[in-house]
Amino acid sequence: MHTVAKLVDTSTCIGCKACEVACQEWNDQDFTIGAFDGTYQTLPDLEHNFWNLIKFNEFSREDGHMTWNMAKYQCMHCVDPGCLKSCPAPGAIFQQKDGIVDFNHDLCIGCGYCITGCPFDVPRLNPNSKKVYKCSLCSDRTAVGLEPACIKACPTNCLTFGTREDLIQIANARSAELREDGFAGAGVYNPQGVGGTHVLYVLKDATDPESYGLPKDPKIPWAVSLWQGPVKWLGSLVLVGGVLGAFFHYLRYGPKPTHDKAGGDA
Amino acid sequence: MPKQIHRFSFSERAIHWLAALSFLYAALSGLGLWSHHLYWIAVVLGGGVTTRWGHPWGGIIFSVILGAMFLTWARQMRLSADDRTWLRNARKYAVHDEKGLPEAGRFNGGQKMLFWGQGVLTFLLLASGVILWFPEWMPRTLRLAAILIHPIAAVGSIGMIILHIYMGTAGVPGSFRAMIRGWVTPAWAASHHPKWYRETFKN
Repeated sequence: MHTVAKLVDTSTCIGCKACEVACQEWNDQDFTIGAFDGTYQTLPDLEHNFWNLIKFNEFSREDGHMTWNMAKYQCMHCVDPGCLKSCPAPGAIFQQKDGIVDFNHDLCIGCGYCITGCPFDVPRLNPNSKKVYKCSLCSDRTAVGLEPACIKACPTNCLTFGTREDLIQIANARSAELREDGFAGAGVYNPQGVGGTHVLYVLKDATDPESYGLPKDPKIPWAVSLWQGPVKWLGSLVLVGGVLGAFFHYLRYGPKPTHDKAGGDA
Repeated sequence: MPKQIHRFSFSERAIHWLAALSFLYAALSGLGLWSHHLYWIAVVLGGGVTTRWGHPWGGIIFSVILGAMFLTWARQMRLSADDRTWLRNARKYAVHDEKGLPEAGRFNGGQKMLFWGQGVLTFLLLASGVILWFPEWMPRTLRLAAILIHPIAAVGSIGMIILHIYMGTAGVPGSFRAMIRGWVTPAWAASHHPKWYRETFKN
């Protein structure tokens, strides 16, 4: 089966924020007005009721000019999702066959482990409902053949929805175009540390994703992998072994005898 | 010679069983979140949301009661030179070959190790647990450390308690009654805690 993806061509993002509005509208979010911090960015960071943020990353070029390295910041829908790996509630986080990583809030217990497991720091806890929220890649739209709301709203075609295979090709072609246009470092952001992502970026300078607010080499934190891997298996072995060990100790050696040294009843 | 020797006072037994009950809840609810295969325990205990709410409180209550237990027993749990020798030969104790094992006082070396072991592990569980309780307030590095320390300490703690439950029931007959009713027979005392037995009768 083909998996779906979203492509963000940062070179054509104009920072209009139509995608932010579309996301808020479609997902019926209330909106909390934050403090003005002197930038064009809507909010400093993602919120439990704000899943899609255009980051106006200010960047000084070598020639002294300032540029905005616009980057759409949302759930990356990892092929190997750290949130899913950390989640103790079966079914609360799931990965669809089409690659979308989504939350079932009826099953979410609000432990917040997914927040720790996510290499991109995306999920947010709603302090009122005690449930965790993030971009669903509009799974309720894609399920019926519609493209995600953000993509529907984008006026520059900076956002594209399609199969992941197609989009990787389109991204590579666009990167080649940008390199010809003089952006020598242009390339695709599809980090392999998490098995690749279902949100792909074309970056004008792919050698420095951090200038777009994207981690250079995101991986599921080793503490999470260790905990969900060897710690779990060895730990379960220790506990089952403890019960069996006690049982077989009793079979082999029996109870500790009470010697009648004092002459009383045992 | 009395038929019954008083071993544990009512307050000692009360503290022990309050600790046991709160530990049982914290351990079971924790196991419910330990693996998807054990999530049914969380369901039985009221569901995932209830368990996520109750588990930290269970842990807090256990920690407080363990604090009371420390005030009660910490002085008596100091390891003597004999206890260290005993611990080096714990394997002989396990196979009932007690020749050459130093005589135990009111608590033997193994019981003292359980006490201190639970103390250290509970401290780790409490510290890491508070971090996991409020992920939104905690720095990421701390959360990552806690997510690893909490389950490892829990396995150590539950593992020791499995041993403790075995020793306190089938493993050493008479010990369960000691913790329920508070008394043991003279023979039991002389056999398992000879030093304590002699000291009790000297007075």
